[in-house]
Amino acid sequence: MNIDEIFDFTSFTIDREPHIVLDTTVCAGCDNRGCTNSCPARCYTWSEEEQKMTFVHDGCLECGTCYVVCHKSAFTRWRYPRGGYGVAYRMT
Amino acid sequence: MSKQYQAIIVGAGPAGSSAALTMALAGLDVALIERGAFPGEKNMFGGILHRMTSIEELMPDFWTKAPLERHIAKKGTTFLTREASFNVQHETVNFDRAPYNGYTVFRPRFDRWLAEEAVKAGATLITRSTVDDLIYKNDRIAGVSILGRAGQIKAPVVIAADGVLSFTAQKAGLRRPKFNADQMAVGVKALIDMPREMIDDRFGLVRDQGFANEFVGATSGVRGGGFLYTNYDSLSIGLVFHLASLRVSGKTPYDMLNEFMEQPQVAKLVRGGRLMEYSAHVIPEGGYNMIPELAGNGILVAGDAAALCNATGVNLEGINLASHSGILAGKTVIEAHQRQDFSLKTLKRYKERLDLSWVMKDLKGFRNAPRMLHIDRIYNEYPELVCSMMEHIYRIDGTPKVSIPKLVLREVKEKVGLKNAISDALTAWRAL
Repeated sequence: MNIDEIFDFTSFTIDREPHIVLDTTVCAGCDNRGCTNSCPARCYTWSEEEQKMTFVHDGCLECGTCYVVCHKSAFTRWRYPRGGYGVAYRMT
Repeated sequence: MSKQYQAIIVGAGPAGSSAALTMALAGLDVALIERGAFPGEKNMFGGILHRMTSIEELMPDFWTKAPLERHIAKKGTTFLTREASFNVQHETVNFDRAPYNGYTVFRPRFDRWLAEEAVKAGATLITRSTVDDLIYKNDRIAGVSILGRAGQIKAPVVIAADGVLSFTAQKAGLRRPKFNADQMAVGVKALIDMPREMIDDRFGLVRDQGFANEFVGATSGVRGGGFLYTNYDSLSIGLVFHLASLRVSGKTPYDMLNEFMEQPQVAKLVRGGRLMEYSAHVIPEGGYNMIPELAGNGILVAGDAAALCNATGVNLEGINLASHSGILAGKTVIEAHQRQDFSLKTLKRYKERLDLSWVMKDLKGFRNAPRMLHIDRIYNEYPELVCSMMEHIYRIDGTPKVSIPKLVLREVKEKVGLKNAISDALTAWRAL
């Protein structure tokens, strides 16, 4: 299983408006960045070169891991997607 | 646009739909609000649907009507290292006849069906609606607002059954704004397509028999465990990680899941299968000690939202606790309508009911289990110990044999340390 191909095996109805918004200046000062390895969908990537956190909500499984793992309160928004949007499990 | 109901249930999972069904059967006009396009669309679990005696009382034909997969006739535990595995299995004819002890299910099917049963009883199901906030009138809960939509859904009482993160309970001030990563876990799961006959042959199953296996040592030293469950024509295989441990491990859930599925003995179990779906969700694993306030003025909390999950390391239970709490919440709201009092004075009866039930008795009884699961040696050293010991016992290579007690002592000293082993055994004894 290649996580980069998540859209091949899990369905999403992507909302243009992100349901999670990060203040990435907080992430720049984080000593841990546990979100980058803990997120099961690899939505968070830290660039050592640019010293910058990137978050992409498209493949978010809405699992809640980042909400619990972030101890810097970096979220300016953390809510579930609008009704009908987001991950759509078929079987699981 | 706004409509008045007698109660609102946020979340059409097992807790919410059980609550809605209870109230609808008693004639209440209730709104069951779900953010998915259909109930179950957002739900996953790694698990087994165990006996649910309270919903059987509401629906005597529950088990014949519910969309179930295989009944679990066989349970196993595997101690796993990179090269080796040691298995313990239990199977009994008593788990192979009704009333069955548990089933595998697909949540998008099961949750949808249960919500439809509530609708048949008279509940109104409102899908594609993410609850944004509670609305108040004269300091009392008067309903909820929906994200991105004008208007309100009104009721004098709300049941928060919106899952582990329960923003509804948070907005009502019933759960703390920050979770403790020590009390939370994340489960990741791969659904593997596999022909039914292959599953039957591979796991030694006939008819509708199913197999459930837990793995210790499958998580590269991160606190957690693995699971493998058989559905009719697919396998659910995955890992659960404690978040405090995962966060500092630097390892990713999907890499560890791949490593797990590539471990030589596990690879044989999934060989020939095809990945169909990948899913993940947080689990409240803190047990009794993390339960939030269960009731407030005009609001009750049920299911995962109330952290009603019993992860003892031996059995993993959630849906049965969720459903039972939903039913008790529903009964309490029925009583509140009879009294026309939705204050905490009446609603606190919910907590009293839960305290008297097996739900709280079990959670209280196993309140130290999370502490046992924090013994890091369980996830590396002990599986290594067991597998290495068995290899020594079975190996015949022309060298003199060491007596088994001597071997055990030597291996324990070498792999774990005698003092640690005794202290861990005591912790486990107290926990269970």
